Amino acid sequence: MPHVLVVDDEPNILLSLEFLMQQAGFSVATAPDAEQALELIHQQCPDLLLLDISLPGMSGFDLLERLRAAEATRKLPVVMLTAHGREVEKEKGMALGANDYVTKPFSTRELVSRVQALLADTQQGG
Amino acid sequence: MPSRQNLIGLWLLLTGLCLVAGLGVLIWLEGALQPSPETRPLLWCLGLAPTVLSLLVGWQLERRLFRPLRQFQVLLARLVASPDAQGDYPVDGWLQPLQPDLDHIREGWRQDRVKIREAHAEGAREAEKIKQELEALLQVLDLPLLICDRHQRLLLFNPAAAEMFHDQPGLGLGRPLSQLLPHPSLADAIRHLPDDGTPHQLLLPGEHHWLRCQLRRLGAYHGGALITLQDTTAALEHDQRWRRTLAQLLPKLRGHCGSLNSATEALLQVEDNPTFKQRLESAIEQESQALATQVEQLTHLVEAQQLSQSALEETWSNDLCSALKAQLLQHQIRLTPIGIPAWMKVDGPALLALLQLLVRQLSSLQRIDEVELEVLLGNRRVYVDLSWDGIPLSEQQLQQWRSLPLFDEPLSPRVEDVLDQHGADLWSIPPQQPGEGPRLRLPLPASGRGIQPLQRLSPRPEFHDFSIADLPAPSGDLASLPLQQLEMVVFDTETTGLDLRRGDRIISLAACRILNGRLLADDVFDQRVNPQRAIPPESTAIHGLKDEDVAQSPPIEVVLPRFRHYVGDGVLVAHNAVFDLLALQLSESGDQSRFTMPVLDTLLLSRAIDPSLEGHGLDALAERFDLSFPPGTRHTALGDARVTAELLLLLLPRLANRGVRTLGDALELQRQIEQEQHR
Repeated sequence: MPHVLVVDDEPNILLSLEFLMQQAGFSVATAPDAEQALELIHQQCPDLLLLDISLPGMSGFDLLERLRAAEATRKLPVVMLTAHGREVEKEKGMALGANDYVTKPFSTRELVSRVQALLADTQQGG
Repeated sequence: MPSRQNLIGLWLLLTGLCLVAGLGVLIWLEGALQPSPETRPLLWCLGLAPTVLSLLVGWQLERRLFRPLRQFQVLLARLVASPDAQGDYPVDGWLQPLQPDLDHIREGWRQDRVKIREAHAEGAREAEKIKQELEALLQVLDLPLLICDRHQRLLLFNPAAAEMFHDQPGLGLGRPLSQLLPHPSLADAIRHLPDDGTPHQLLLPGEHHWLRCQLRRLGAYHGGALITLQDTTAALEHDQRWRRTLAQLLPKLRGHCGSLNSATEALLQVEDNPTFKQRLESAIEQESQALATQVEQLTHLVEAQQLSQSALEETWSNDLCSALKAQLLQHQIRLTPIGIPAWMKVDGPALLALLQLLVRQLSSLQRIDEVELEVLLGNRRVYVDLSWDGIPLSEQQLQQWRSLPLFDEPLSPRVEDVLDQHGADLWSIPPQQPGEGPRLRLPLPASGRGIQPLQRLSPRPEFHDFSIADLPAPSGDLASLPLQQLEMVVFDTETTGLDLRRGDRIISLAACRILNGRLLADDVFDQRVNPQRAIPPESTAIHGLKDEDVAQSPPIEVVLPRFRHYVGDGVLVAHNAVFDLLALQLSESGDQSRFTMPVLDTLLLSRAIDPSLEGHGLDALAERFDLSFPPGTRHTALGDARVTAELLLLLLPRLANRGVRTLGDALELQRQIEQEQHR
């Protein structure tokens, strides 16, 4: 069962996403900020990260940059979540090494299908 | 021509030679012929004849030829040196027959010179006029503008530009533009401006502001450019503020939508887990509330943005009233504007919608179909008062109206938004006097024009040699009518001068109407008149009207019947009526323009009421009774007529207190005052 880590500072969306991702057949962990996310990544080595950009303290971009800089997490698939609909942020996320980008509000079905596609690609590639 | 001395010398020499030769010949003949005493005189006569002939011929030549020639010479020199000098020398002697032709040539030349001079002066005047108009235009133009030559040196800057760059020493004629605006992009853009005059726009960042420049190549000889500038700092900041707020709001909205969406999807999938279900429901509730708050904030933002798009502008209250009146008529509500109109600074469309809404609410609440609107000049504010025959409005009612949307559409601004936009509010004012209705007051920003200090001009002297009481007595019915019920036409004239009996004429005639004790705001007669004579400058100094202002106006023969028609069955009122009435009567030309109706004089009535006070001129009374002339209207016929009307309305209750209630009473009072003055 693929393991997914969801990072978002909104408790309500964490609650729903955790449940929905579990329903889709993933094992899920959640973190409300980047620091806890880093800790969990090192502890649990998730297969995929759902990462919100606007986080208190260290932003989603900062976290992504760190992950891509470290050898262990360089290839960890990351889907960025954002409430900003701006194209420039999408470009920035992709430039920093995100694998996909989803704008809020999103349909969970679409999110799940993107996560599944991304995991499938990673497995094929790896 | 040889000089006079030379000629005389030559003449004397010739005469002397003739004399010597004659004497020599005579001496020789005396010796040779030994003449008899009878022949000797004859011989001597023959011997001296050439001398006499020379003397006579010389004298005649001097008198008839040489002197006229010298005169002609002087005349020519004078004509050349000082062509316009008067006191010409006439030529005489044998040149005298040339005099008429000389005169013709001389006059022709002088006339030509006058024509050239006039044409030159006219050209200079025209050029000066154009120059002055352009200068005036530049002076008042709010838009800062600069003109530079092909070398980008400043050729012109207007006061608006001077104000914009007041703290920059680089602004000065002839200085390089780069000292003022040191942007290489600007210099480059000017160099590459197209010759066909197509404008080019640039946004230049400054130390503290952003300047939007429009550049255009001028087709002038200097090959330079016109640069118009606009300080867009405030607009950009406003725009940025609005965008920033929007940019903060939208992600929150998206976030809450996302959470709501996910929670709803989760809720649909959750089965036997009541605790989790409850957590999801609670999440949905929280997100819904957060979403509602954000949407509310967005709504306010959009409304505020809508209103901020329209700036407050100078508006003449009568224009607003006319539009409102027409709109209300469609709802079977009759609006009567009363009082003196004024300039105010408002967002016209928003205020119009607001007033319409208020009047319609008022109409349906109190079941009335008639409302009066009065504009009052307050201290730096203009009060728009709605009054009606009914009961005063409660604060609770006004509070309810404040939250009404102006239009029946989503995101419409509300009454309080428009009030906020004008820094205004709604006040309910109960009736101040018996017979008066309650009022709803809107204090609005006054126009800058509405609070300009009045220019003090010399008042028109008072005239007392014409008795109002000499007019025919009014009909019994009219005389017994209460003054408050009279239809009165208050009028004033401006004239070319004060001496009407010696030819001074009306140049402006205006009037307004009082009906049932109210001054009607939009019922006016205002007509300039061509006096068919020049307006003296000292008269222009009073009323500001020049010959060209009335050149296209109809003559009094045309205006007076129109005015008579306007007066109708009304009673005439004027301040110092004897002057204005005389002006009318001296212009009467037929039955169509006879003014035989009773005339009330506010000057006499004021004297009758306050005999002990000095100063009953219109200025003194206006000051005494705190009546304000709308700016620029003092010594205009309409402005003075309106203030006279206001004055009369103030005098009426004071007259009633003294038992003067009917027209007959008022005319009798005027007659008494006239008699006392003549004593």
